[in-house]
Amino acid sequence: MTVFKYFIKIALRNKGVILSYTIIFFILSILNGSNPVQNKNDFIETRLNIGIIDNCNSELSNGLRDYLGKRNNIIDTMSDEEYIKEQIFLEIADAVIIIPEDFDEKVINKENSIKIYNDDRKIESLQIQNQVNKFLTFVNATYERGEYNLEDVSFALDEKAKVELVESSNNASDNSAAAWFKYYYNFTAYVIMAIYISSIGLVMTDFRDENIQSRRKISSKKFLQFNKEMYLGQLILASMITLVFILGSILLKGKYIGEVNFGKYVINTIVFSFSILCLTFLINNITKNKFIINALSTVLSLGTAFISGVMVPQEFLGEKTLMIAKFFPTYYFVKINEMRVNSFLDMKFEIFMQLLFAVVFLLMGLYFSKTSQKA
Amino acid sequence: MVVKVNNLVKRYKELIALDHFNMEVKEGEILGLLGPNGCGKTTAINCILSLLSFDKGEIEVFGKKMTPNSYDIKKKIGLVPQEVSVFNNLTVKENIDYFCGLYIDDKKLREKYVDEAIEFVGLKDYVKFYPKKLSGGLKRRLNISCGIAHKPKLIFLDEPTVAVDAQSRNFILNGIKKLNSEGSTIIYTTHYLEEVEMLCKRIIIMDKGRSLVSGTKEELKAMITTSEKIVAGFLNIDDKTIEKMKNIPHVIDIEKDDEDYIIKFENGVNNLSNLLEFIKDNNLTYTKLHSQLPSLNDVFLELTGKELRD
Repeated sequence: MTVFKYFIKIALRNKGVILSYTIIFFILSILNGSNPVQNKNDFIETRLNIGIIDNCNSELSNGLRDYLGKRNNIIDTMSDEEYIKEQIFLEIADAVIIIPEDFDEKVINKENSIKIYNDDRKIESLQIQNQVNKFLTFVNATYERGEYNLEDVSFALDEKAKVELVESSNNASDNSAAAWFKYYYNFTAYVIMAIYISSIGLVMTDFRDENIQSRRKISSKKFLQFNKEMYLGQLILASMITLVFILGSILLKGKYIGEVNFGKYVINTIVFSFSILCLTFLINNITKNKFIINALSTVLSLGTAFISGVMVPQEFLGEKTLMIAKFFPTYYFVKINEMRVNSFLDMKFEIFMQLLFAVVFLLMGLYFSKTSQKA
Repeated sequence: MVVKVNNLVKRYKELIALDHFNMEVKEGEILGLLGPNGCGKTTAINCILSLLSFDKGEIEVFGKKMTPNSYDIKKKIGLVPQEVSVFNNLTVKENIDYFCGLYIDDKKLREKYVDEAIEFVGLKDYVKFYPKKLSGGLKRRLNISCGIAHKPKLIFLDEPTVAVDAQSRNFILNGIKKLNSEGSTIIYTTHYLEEVEMLCKRIIIMDKGRSLVSGTKEELKAMITTSEKIVAGFLNIDDKTIEKMKNIPHVIDIEKDDEDYIIKFENGVNNLSNLLEFIKDNNLTYTKLHSQLPSLNDVFLELTGKELRD
């Protein structure tokens, strides 16, 4: 087992790479875990700066002005589109509302009755649209025999409903632990890929050095035996790295293991690790260049982590980005971490996809291995 | 016969690296494979060791056909490659242990062999050093110890003294002699004539992928017409006298080399005394006069028309 012994020895001599990633990862995980959970259960409306241009000046339009005026600060504006856009751009106004001359008619006919200028990228836009929609909905509800009952509308709009959330006392900590585990395991995708490719890759470049290979080839060590020991070394090293991260989660949040689906995370991480080990095998059969391996380690780990939803949740990523992400196992790994799993069957597709990637990487690696041997 | 190579041909597309190369190595000898850089020495070794495939020919090692799967033959072979081929992340001792471990599974026996190899190459004080910290000469010694630690019967040494200081070179050459005296057959490739003359019992001179001649150094020197060269410098000599000088018995040619003349003699005795007599008879004053026996370079020069180090 000389080859195995020295594989592990050389890997441990490159421990700087492993340690640097691991330490940074755990520091971030500890910092993340120490933050109190902020579950926002309430919503507070803020007063916005809005401009109103009333071209109708009817009872209804005045009612809308009063209603908006109670909740926001009314600022001066002009009925000049360029001027309005400038006010929005310079953030002098959060929104400018134009009430048309035929406002009453349009409201009765339930047509798009007013025009709102705002910056769609801002959350404030949503608030002002909500307020306007709410007013119009209530107005329509009181319309009877050609008249509105603005008093009833005003009363209804001022009424506040008190909602009490019935929740168990552990719920907050449950949610917090679940979020922490999700965050922790999502990030292991990045760290595992970076460490595997760089640490195993660096050791393999030593063993695959042409002159050292020549010495091995003329030795009486059988090729099969040599490869067995080499792959055993890779498997043990990879298992040790993955185990560190699984144990790390137990160490940091062990008491919540029963409250989250810990089995899901463990199975998912093991399958993902295997898939990345096969990716590392492929890379090592494509290149022996240490610089390329280091570059691939950074680009692939960071790149796939970003497009697969490790750093930004998948729901915030564009369709095209997610389409590209589907060509990497990280996407399916993150998907399992994000989903609510009741049984293994719930995640069978994602597990299958990760294993499929492993097989593809393995076959490609074998192809390149054969090609390089022939050369 | 330990190694027998018959009509070996190796081509790299249009380039013929080995052109019907032949070689025989007897048990217990040090065979020198001598030739200029690029003449095919390393290619020949790589083919013999099955590191390279070849287009034609037969190779037998220890009486058996050599293939990449001849593990029983490989057990008895050691290679010291031209490049220092060791792990930079392992210490001196670990490197030797790793390469010895490719042959010897028994841990205790390996430990003994590793210690002996360290002792043999004089790296006892450097066992915990990483190769990066070693000088060029010490690295070469480490390279050798990695190839011989498992006590092979047949050792291939491919230019082991390239870029090595004089002290390390002597150490290495003495070590090779010792290995041979302990029973190892050695195939030694080099383009350094002095090393071949000093070490090898038999020599094969190679050029352009062919083995030109083989034999002991005496046999090789006997193959060429020039058996003695006398380098002479004269104060007063003209072309007529030079022409007359060619009539001295056994003189085959006279060449001018800067201010000196190189007078070449074919087989014969008393060449120097005949020349001195001629000098006296012609009232010549000489500034320099010394006799040289032919070197392997002369052999190579006469066979190929070029210097070995061209």
